[in-house]
Amino acid sequence: MWLRFGIIVLCILATGAAAWSIVPWFDIRRWAAGEQHTFQNAMAGALRGIQAGDPKAVWTLCSATAAYGFFHALGPGHGKVLIGGAALASGATLKRLSILTVLSSLAQAATAIFLVGGLYFVLQIGSADLADLTEAWLAPASYAAIAAIGAVLVFRGARSWQKIGQTKQAAHDYCGHAHGPCVNDVATLTSTSDAVALIASIAMRPCTGALFVLVIAARFDAFAVGCLAVITMGLGTAAFNLTVATSGVAARRLAGLGARDRQGVQAISATLHLTGGVLIIAISIGMLLPYLG
Amino acid sequence: MSHNFWGLLFVVMCLGGPAKAHPHVFVDARTGFIFGTDGQLEALRISWIYDEFTTLILFESLNLDQDGDGQFSDADRAAVIDGETNWDREYKGDVYLEVAGQDYPLGRPEAAAVTLENNQVEVSFDLPLSQSVRIEDTPAFLRLYDPVFFYAYTILPAIDPIDLPEGCQAQIVPFEPNAAENALQEKLTALGREEVPTQENVGRLFSDEVRLTCG
Repeated sequence: MWLRFGIIVLCILATGAAAWSIVPWFDIRRWAAGEQHTFQNAMAGALRGIQAGDPKAVWTLCSATAAYGFFHALGPGHGKVLIGGAALASGATLKRLSILTVLSSLAQAATAIFLVGGLYFVLQIGSADLADLTEAWLAPASYAAIAAIGAVLVFRGARSWQKIGQTKQAAHDYCGHAHGPCVNDVATLTSTSDAVALIASIAMRPCTGALFVLVIAARFDAFAVGCLAVITMGLGTAAFNLTVATSGVAARRLAGLGARDRQGVQAISATLHLTGGVLIIAISIGMLLPYLG
Repeated sequence: MSHNFWGLLFVVMCLGGPAKAHPHVFVDARTGFIFGTDGQLEALRISWIYDEFTTLILFESLNLDQDGDGQFSDADRAAVIDGETNWDREYKGDVYLEVAGQDYPLGRPEAAAVTLENNQVEVSFDLPLSQSVRIEDTPAFLRLYDPVFFYAYTILPAIDPIDLPEGCQAQIVPFEPNAAENALQEKLTALGREEVPTQENVGRLFSDEVRLTCG
């Protein structure tokens, strides 16, 4: 059993490392930052157009925010870590994961709208304080929640491994005809509560860029246009994150090819939970570190 | 687990630091070196040109241009200068000077000015060195970076450069991805032998720098 565990982990790590090393991350990041800069300027131009009363500016703004959302998402961020890790570990179908990805991006846009709608209009909190609130409290809270989800994945994976061991000792007694319990035990993200936890932990931290668009739009008496722009920004982000979810599911399928029997499927699923969970924890704690120092 | 493993994990996490966050504010910066008559480096001239979007945010957050004529009033200028150069004690202005291999302490901004051109705010100021220093054999490095990469700085050539003393030369060395990767590689290799490196040395791997040589 441990041999099998070791082989699966090694294969996953080797494939991951190989994929990682052939991608020119620095070049991609620089290119993405440049594109983001361009669309950020386009957003500014469109916002000035809205101030001047140009009706076409709404469309310019929405296309600029959608593109901005896409390129902004290209950097490694909190949502992708979780979606990628969950896609690797979970038993959810690509369709379900895609819906979750889109919903989490839209929920993130909604958080920005509620924050600005509530704090800016009602409590008259300025944009600088809003950004500080996001960076100082919501960002670390979101990373902590994501790390906790990673821990749940690790726990489920570990428990499943333990069960596989027990099953062997019990000579197929309780897993033999009851297909359900053993496999379902480790199938994460198929329940509603899992889905809600995933969406909430991502949505907890709105994009600072979205907050700024809303605040500037509000200053120009165009809050509704700002809301529309932030929603298209969320869809742009979702479009990129879908590629991450797809790769996660593809990686899981690839790993699943190695399984010959049901126990193999279980072993791989448990291992993917452990791998995905550890990845999520390591990266989100890395993001949390600057706040703890 | 060995020390090396934790050290490696730590470095990977720290290196993730500056690279992982998203830049939100894009700053085109211009720099200059101000020398005294005795040939010692006295101060740095820094100017930050903010992107158009950040300029709009500045208008909103400082409530500028209330008459809506697109021009700064004296009160607007004063508000921008106060917000941009009246720093908290802990903040170093994202400006880092290295002299003879050491971080060199800097004072607080002086002679600040602000302009608005092409929908972009430009703030410029002088940053005196805590003590004048002679630049000798080792080159000095001026780096502009935000440790958490919320601000992305690009150093551009000065429009009307300040004259340097005879024999001195300032050269912009743009951030090179390969250079950063190589430096990272060296750090990781060195880790087997040394202690865990400090985090502050990491951000500079990713920044543009100006290399000042004299003599």
